[in-house]
Amino acid sequence: MALGEKRRSALVLAGLALFHVVLISVQVPQGAETSVFERAVFFVTSPVQRLGAAAVSGAVSVWRGYFDLRRVRGENAALKRENFFLRQDLRFLEDRLALFRSEAEIEALLKDFRGTVLPARVIGVDSVNPYQSIVIDKGRLDGVAKDMAVCDMTGALVGRTIEPVSLKEAMVQLVTDKDSSVGVVSAAARLTGSLAGRSGPRCELRYVLASAGGGEAGEELLTTGTDRIYPAGIRVGRIVGIEPNAASPIFRRIVVEPSFRFNTLDIVAVLAAGPGDGR
Amino acid sequence: MRETAAKDILRACLATLAAVLVYSVAGASGPRLLVVFNAFSVVVLYFSARRGEVFGAVLGTLCGLAQDTYSMGVFGVAGLTKTLLGFWTGYISRRIDVAPLARNALFLLVMAFLEMALWVAVTAVVRLETVNWHGGLILLQPAVTAGAAGLLAAAGRRVAARRARGA
Repeated sequence: MALGEKRRSALVLAGLALFHVVLISVQVPQGAETSVFERAVFFVTSPVQRLGAAAVSGAVSVWRGYFDLRRVRGENAALKRENFFLRQDLRFLEDRLALFRSEAEIEALLKDFRGTVLPARVIGVDSVNPYQSIVIDKGRLDGVAKDMAVCDMTGALVGRTIEPVSLKEAMVQLVTDKDSSVGVVSAAARLTGSLAGRSGPRCELRYVLASAGGGEAGEELLTTGTDRIYPAGIRVGRIVGIEPNAASPIFRRIVVEPSFRFNTLDIVAVLAAGPGDGR
Repeated sequence: MRETAAKDILRACLATLAAVLVYSVAGASGPRLLVVFNAFSVVVLYFSARRGEVFGAVLGTLCGLAQDTYSMGVFGVAGLTKTLLGFWTGYISRRIDVAPLARNALFLLVMAFLEMALWVAVTAVVRLETVNWHGGLILLQPAVTAGAAGLLAAAGRRVAARRARGA
C-alpha cells in the first residue's frame, strides 16, 4: 500500500472517529434529551422505514387477502360469536352506566373518548434493545405530541410518545424500558408504586414498602393517573413474583409481567388527550 | 474498477435499507430475534471485507448512525463502534487472505466479538451503567452476525465465480 493511501485511510478514520466522539460528548450532559441532529436524522430516515413497512405489510396483506384463505371461515365464525358476546357485555355496561348518568351525558362522554383515540401502525422497533422503544406511523400532522399514552389493541398500556416526533412518525418509549416510570396501583390490595422497566420482557414495581401488607402473584396493576401522562385505570401488568429487596430492605421487590404482548403489537392506540381532560 | 465501486456503493445503500427493514418487520414479531442478530453489522462486515478500510469506515458510520436513530441509546455509540469495525475489517482483510471459508468465518467472528466488546465498553463509559445481557442471549449475537455475514460472502463469491465462468 502506498504511503499516500495509508495516510488517507488514517485521516478518514481519525476524522470519522473525532466526529463520533464530538457527537457523543455533546449529548452526554443532556441525558435522555434528543439532540437537534438526532431529530433531523429521524426526520429524514423515518419515512424510509415507513415505506419499507408499508411495502412489506402490503405484500403480506395481498397474500393473506387473496391467496392464503385457509381457516378464514372458521375464524369468521369465531369472531361472530365473540362479537355477539361483546355486544351483550356492552349493552349490560351501558345499562349499568345509565343508572348513574343521563343518556346525553353518556353520549357526550363516548363521543369525547372516541375523538381522543388515534389508531397507529408500528413501523419499527428499537435497533439496540427491542424492549426500549418502537416507531409508529403517526406524527405531529395527525395530532401526536410528546407524552401521550399509547395502548395496544386490548387496551393494555404500551408506553408513551417521546421525542423525536416528526411530521408523520413518532417514537414511543415502552413501559419495559429501564428509564420508563409509570404510577400504578394494584387492583385488589391497592398497593401504590412506580412501575419501572428493566429493558427486558419484565418490569419491576418500585417503592412499595416492605411493611405494606397485601399484594399477591396474579394481581393486576392499573395506572393511577398521578403522573399526568397516563390516564387512570389503564391495565399495565400483572404481579408475577414478590421477594425481599436485598439492596434496599425497606422496600419490596415486585416483579411484574406487562399486559401488552410484543407479537400482537401491530396496531396501537395513541390517547391524544391527557388524564386531566375530562376522562 | 470505477463501475464496480459504483455498483458496490449502490449495493451497500440497498443493504443498509434492507437492514432498516429487518428492524421494521422482524422486531415487532420477535424481539428476541433482534437481540441475537445485528443486521447493520452484517452489512458492514460484508462490504468492508470486500472494499477495504475507507469504504468500511464510511459505511460503518452510515449504518451505525442509522442504528442509533432507531434506538433510545446515546446517539453516536453504534456509529463509533461500527466505524471502527468497518475500518479494521477492511484493513485486516487487505493484509491477510481471509477468502477461505473457515478462515473467513473465524475472522468475521473475531471482528464481531471485538465490536461487541467495544460497544459494551463505550456504553459503560457514556451511560455509566452495565449493558442488559438479556439473560446471556446477547452473547450469541457475534456468532449469528458473523455466520450471516460469512454466508453472504460465500454466496457472493459463488455468484461471482459463476459469472466469470459464463463470461
